[in-house]
Amino acid sequence: MQLRTIHRILSVLILILFSSSCASDLDYNQVNDIKLEPVIISNLAYFDVEANQFVTGGVEQNVIFDAPTVDVFSEKFFTEKLNRIDLFFEINNTINRSYRIDLVFLDRNNQPVHSSNFIVPAYSGAENIVTKTETFQNASLDLLKRTIKITFRLTMLAGPPLSESSVGNLKLRSGVTAYFVVE
Amino acid sequence: MRKIILIFALFLTIGCFSQNKQILYNFTSVPQSLLTNPGSDVKFNWYFGIPLLSGISTNVGSSGFSAYDLFADNGVDFNVKLRNVVFSTTRKDRMAINEQIELFNGGFKIAGGQGDSYVSFGMYQEFDFMSYVPKDIAILVLDGNRDYLGKVFNLGDLNLKAEMLSVFHLGFHKKINEKLILGARGKIYSSIYNVNSTNNSGYIYTIPSTQGVYEQMIYSDLQFNTSGVAKYDDEDYDPNVVKDITKRALLGGNLGLGFDAGLTYYPKKNIQFTASVIDLGFIKHTNEVESLTFKGTYKYEGVIPKFSSGNSAEDGYQEFKDAVPLDTLYADYTTWRPTKLNTSIQFSFEEEVSEDCNCLNYDPETIYKSAVGAQLFVMSTPRTPLVAFTTYYRRKIFNSLQMKATYTIDSYSYKNIGLGLSSMFGPVNFYILADNLLEYRDVTKANSLSFQLGLNVIFKDSKK
Repeated sequence: MQLRTIHRILSVLILILFSSSCASDLDYNQVNDIKLEPVIISNLAYFDVEANQFVTGGVEQNVIFDAPTVDVFSEKFFTEKLNRIDLFFEINNTINRSYRIDLVFLDRNNQPVHSSNFIVPAYSGAENIVTKTETFQNASLDLLKRTIKITFRLTMLAGPPLSESSVGNLKLRSGVTAYFVVE
Repeated sequence: MRKIILIFALFLTIGCFSQNKQILYNFTSVPQSLLTNPGSDVKFNWYFGIPLLSGISTNVGSSGFSAYDLFADNGVDFNVKLRNVVFSTTRKDRMAINEQIELFNGGFKIAGGQGDSYVSFGMYQEFDFMSYVPKDIAILVLDGNRDYLGKVFNLGDLNLKAEMLSVFHLGFHKKINEKLILGARGKIYSSIYNVNSTNNSGYIYTIPSTQGVYEQMIYSDLQFNTSGVAKYDDEDYDPNVVKDITKRALLGGNLGLGFDAGLTYYPKKNIQFTASVIDLGFIKHTNEVESLTFKGTYKYEGVIPKFSSGNSAEDGYQEFKDAVPLDTLYADYTTWRPTKLNTSIQFSFEEEVSEDCNCLNYDPETIYKSAVGAQLFVMSTPRTPLVAFTTYYRRKIFNSLQMKATYTIDSYSYKNIGLGLSSMFGPVNFYILADNLLEYRDVTKANSLSFQLGLNVIFKDSKK
């Protein structure tokens, strides 16, 4: 009797369980809707030039220049998924002279694709920071992606003469914010 | 890139484990319980499994999220669901699949003077997949690093393994005396393919800096081992997958050795204690081995003009590729099988005073109609072991129908109710075991599901 009761209860339980079992609709094709939009920040460039680097053998060097290679855009995977780039520049001058800084972005044929120019006032004791943010999208971004080299030209403008014992620095910090869209 | 896609495809084709067989364990009316404890107190003269149908078991588990959370057809944007899943899980959450199919299985009794011995043997195919949620890497892919200044992204979150193998086994079990049964099983593993990346470490961080805008650092010690898959990546290779799998399944793959041991002990007539260790073994991968490594340290500072030579040869990205190279190695490696420990204690009651009293026999199924017990399961994983605790009630409903109901608590669920039924119609034994029954209300929302079923032909000992 007891056995039969247990059996009956079990049968009913199993029946309830499986008859009420169900599965919600799943749609695995949603994977195709995937859209990733990571935003990556990184350094672009940095320099720290001391005042005495503008003086060689007691003579002022009004222009100093360098053209390092930039190969981050050479990786196709990154450039294809790029949607927007912001370049951030911050220049801090503690030298008692004003400067003009020219950054020219060059492609493989040494043709300029973009230039960024800054006029930096002379240091007068107060904080002396110049900042700028440039945004690249669509056509301007396509041009920028061709960059393989950046030329840095620092031109010292007229002012009180510098000697090899002059103090102060001209510093540039530059970062890049890259907006990707992966679909 | 192609390799990575191929490897992920391998996982996805099989869908998405824990290998706890809490219902089957010590359910001695099912011969397959010998695979969970070679020292099981079975009472057959001889048995054989119906080839391919004797033991089919699958186990799918995912702590932290379910298929519904990700793929529900509810109008919510998939990207929103994906974000919710990534941000609601932790690096300890894992997805796992285990699947086993017995190709053949059999066993027979050798009557001895002091006590009976049993020999059991067989072959089964097994697939294992386990991956922890690579949380930090997923955040980097979804959001990038802009909103995470100061956060250290842990590359060690990448931790996964997958393996398909066939197992040949031969077990022996001996009744030492009326109270104690000891058993052991030797196994030969033949790995069909293996993919594993379980000993990773590394980090990426970006913090504000005074020199440069950011201090950005990557330290990476990542390794991805594969065996048996490299040649499918060769474009000139015309694969014959069926032939390859058959050959490797039949001891043509990467071989390994394993060992199971177990015991059943009756301190009192109605109290039973059991314990077993399963898959204490390894596989040595020597054929078709290919490993990818991504190891090194690099601090990215950007372009730094020197203004001295007029043309500094700064080459940041190339420098990075040299500092943290992606290398391919062809070195042998060894993988350890997930080792499982089971132990149980059972108290039997409702003594059955049958017409032909076999009071000398300690089999609780014969002389007790009911039993309650508790089991503990522990399995080794690449990180902390998986632990599950089960309480159960076992009942002989008819002479031909045995039932075991279980309640299990583990990291996947605290409301896992399981039920197993084993029936005998003549010599034919059919069993079906399923757990997480409450989740059958909507299987897509289940965090874990497992079931086992099979058909055997059993000839019981009728002498005693």
